[in-house]
Amino acid sequence: MPGTLSWEASRRRAYLTGLVPALVVLAVITVVPTLFLAGASLTPLSLVDPASLFDFSNPLRNYAELLHDPRFLGSLVMQLQLSALTVTLQLAVGLGLALLLNVRSSFFEAIRTVFLIPMVLPPIVVALIWKIIYTPDVSPLHRFLDFVGLPADSFITSASTALLAVAVADTWQWFPFTMLMILATLQMIPNEPLEAAKIDGANHWQTFRYIIFAYIRPALIVSGLFRLIDSFKAFPLIYVLTDGGPGSATEVTNYYAFVQAFNFSYWGYASAIAIVLLTGVFTLSWAAGRLGWNGDEGE
Amino acid sequence: MFQTRNFSRRRVLQGAGLLVGGLLLPGKAPAQGGAKRLAGVTLNVSTFSAPFPKILIKWLPEFEQLTGAKVVYDTPSFPVYNQRADLELSTGGSAYDVVNVTFIYSSRWINAGWLTPLDDFIRDPNKTPADWDVDDFLPGLRAPETGKDGKLYGIPWSVDTFISAAARFDLFKDAGLGFPDTTDDLFDTLKATHGKDKVAGFVTDNHYGWSFVPFLQAFGGNVFRNPPDDLTPVLDTPEAIAAAEYFARIVKDFGPNGAISYTPDQVVKALQSGRVNYSAIGQTYLAQLGDSGSKVAGTSAFGLAPRGPAGRFPGVAVHGLGIPAASKNKEAAWTFIQWALSKQNTRRALVEENLASPTRRSDFESPEFKTSSTINGYDIAGIVRESIDISAKGGYMKYRTVPVYPQVDQQLNKAIANIASGQLSARQAMEQAQAGSIAELKRAGVAL
Repeated sequence: MPGTLSWEASRRRAYLTGLVPALVVLAVITVVPTLFLAGASLTPLSLVDPASLFDFSNPLRNYAELLHDPRFLGSLVMQLQLSALTVTLQLAVGLGLALLLNVRSSFFEAIRTVFLIPMVLPPIVVALIWKIIYTPDVSPLHRFLDFVGLPADSFITSASTALLAVAVADTWQWFPFTMLMILATLQMIPNEPLEAAKIDGANHWQTFRYIIFAYIRPALIVSGLFRLIDSFKAFPLIYVLTDGGPGSATEVTNYYAFVQAFNFSYWGYASAIAIVLLTGVFTLSWAAGRLGWNGDEGE
Repeated sequence: MFQTRNFSRRRVLQGAGLLVGGLLLPGKAPAQGGAKRLAGVTLNVSTFSAPFPKILIKWLPEFEQLTGAKVVYDTPSFPVYNQRADLELSTGGSAYDVVNVTFIYSSRWINAGWLTPLDDFIRDPNKTPADWDVDDFLPGLRAPETGKDGKLYGIPWSVDTFISAAARFDLFKDAGLGFPDTTDDLFDTLKATHGKDKVAGFVTDNHYGWSFVPFLQAFGGNVFRNPPDDLTPVLDTPEAIAAAEYFARIVKDFGPNGAISYTPDQVVKALQSGRVNYSAIGQTYLAQLGDSGSKVAGTSAFGLAPRGPAGRFPGVAVHGLGIPAASKNKEAAWTFIQWALSKQNTRRALVEENLASPTRRSDFESPEFKTSSTINGYDIAGIVRESIDISAKGGYMKYRTVPVYPQVDQQLNKAIANIASGQLSARQAMEQAQAGSIAELKRAGVAL
C-alpha cells in the first residue's frame, strides 16, 4: 500500500510539473493583465498624466461616476438589446437550417460546408462585406430594392434600423456555429423514439416539441451561451459599419470603453467599464449554466 | 512640353541631391569607401494617409539612395493614426522617429513634452543649410506647431482649408442661381436644385467636429467660451442650436441616401461622379474634382466657405512633421524632415503631382501652383490664401488645438448625427452635447 500511495503521489507530482508551465503562461497572459485592469480601474489613470496610475486616493471614483454617466448607461441598454437580438436570431436561423439540412445525402453535406464559410472569415472581412451591402451607392441590396420599387434609406444611418443591421451582419457570420452544434446533436438522435412517436400518431410539431427538442435543448443552451458571451465582443462590425452611431444608436459598452481609452486616453475610466462588462459576462454565464444544461444529470 | 517637364524633374532631382549632399558636409561627409552617413539606420515614419505622404513614399528610394537609411513609412487612416500615435507618444515609446503632429492633438502632444523641439536642428548650420529657410513656411501655419515655450515642434506639410465647391454648377446656373455666398443663399440654392438630374444637393465629411464648426461660428456660436483661456463649452446657446438645426437639415434634406456615413473619400467620389452637387470641406479633397478621372472637371465651381449672420469662418487645419521625444534616431529623423520638406521637394510635389496643400510661401506664390490649382477657371490657390488670411486675422481656430478638443469633437459628431437621423431635436442634441462635454472636461481635470 505504501508503494501504491507513493506511486499516486509521484503521478500527481508529475501532472503538476507538467501543468506548471501552462499555468504560468496562463497567469502571465490572462490573470496578470486582468489584475492590472482591476487595479487601473481604481485610479484616474490618463495617459497625459502617467503618474495617476498610482493615485488610489479615491478608488471608487470611476465606478461612482459610471452610475451617473448617461452614455455608459445607454451603452448597457444597447448592449443588452444587441445581445438579445443576435443570440435569438442566431439560434433561430441555426436551428431552422440544421433541421432543413439534417438529411443524409452528399448534396446536403456539400451545402453544409458552404454554410460554414462566413464563420471562418476574419471579422474585418465580414464587416467590409456588410459595409458594401449597406452602402446605398454600391449596394446590390439597395439596387435590388430600387429595381423592385421598394427604395430604402440606408440601414446603418437610420436610428431605427442600425442596431438590427449590425445584428443581421453578426448573425450571418455566426449562425453556422449554432447550426453546426444543433446539426451534430440532431444526427445523434436515435431512431427508436421517433418511430415510436410516429406509430403513436404524433404530428411533426409534436415530434419536434416532445422528442427532438428534448435532445437538442442542451446544445441550444450551450451554443446560446457561447454566442451570448461572444456578443459582448461585437467590436469590428460596429467599428466599420456604424462607428457607434448614428448618434449613440449602436454604441455598445465595449465600444464605449474603447472610445474612453483610445480616443480620450481615460484608461482608468475605461478599465472600470471593462471590469463592469467582465463582471456582467461572468454573471450571465453562471446564471445561464445554472438554468439548464447541467440539469440532465438530475433527470 | 514633355522635354520641359523632364528637364525640370532633373533639375529638381539635382537640387535635392545637392541639398542632402550639403547636409552631409562638413564633418558629415561619407566615409571613404562609399559608406553613407545613415547607412544601417532604419527610420520609422508614420503619418495618416493623405496625398503628400503618398508622394513621399514614391520618392523614398531617392532618400534611401542618398543617405543610406532605410525608411519604413506607415500611413493608416486618420483616426487610426491618431489613436496609435497618441498611445505611442504618451507611453514614451520609441517606435516612431518621425510622426505627424496632428492639428487637434498638437497642443496636447507638444505641451506634454512628447515631441522634440526642432530649433536646435534648424539653427545649427551643420545640420540645416540657411537656404532651407524655415521662415518660408507661412507663420500662421507654424503657430499651431509652436509650444508654450516658443519652440517649434513640427514643420507644416499640409494645410487643409475649408472651402466650398459645386461639382454640377451647371444645375445652379440652369436654375438662374449663382455660387452661394451666404448660408441663406446655400439653403435656397439647394432647395431649388436638389434632386435635379438625379443629383443630390449637399454632402460633407461626417466628421462634424470639423465640418460643422464653420457653420456654428458663422451663426455666431462657438465651441468654447474663450479658448484657450476659458474652456467652458457653449454648445447650447441659441446661436449654436440654430446652426445645428440648419446644418443637420441640409445634410438630411439635401444629402444622398446614407449622407451621415460619408467619409471625405466618399464625398470626393460622390462629387467626382456627379451624384452630389455641393460640398464644403478641405481643399485637399475638393481640388480632386479637377483630376483626370473626374466627370465634373468641366462643370465645377469653387468659392469660400459660406458666410453666416456672424461672418465667414473657414476652418484651417495644419499638420506638421515632428520627432518624438523618445526617438533614438533624432538627427536622422531631422535629415528626413529636411529632405521631405525641402524647397525642391515641396515645389516638385506641386509641379509633378499637383499637390493642393503647400505650406511654403514661395510655393503658394509660385506660378506653378497657380496653374496647377486652377480648375475650370477657378483659382483655388487664391481661395485658400484668402481663407488662411481670414483665419489668421480672426483667431477663431484656437478652439481646435486645446488638449481636450478631441472629447468635444466627438460630442459634436454625435449631436449632428442625432439631429440628422431624427433621434433628437437640435435643442435636445446640443443640450446633450453641452452636458456631455462638461462631464468629459471635468474628467480631464479642466476647471470650469
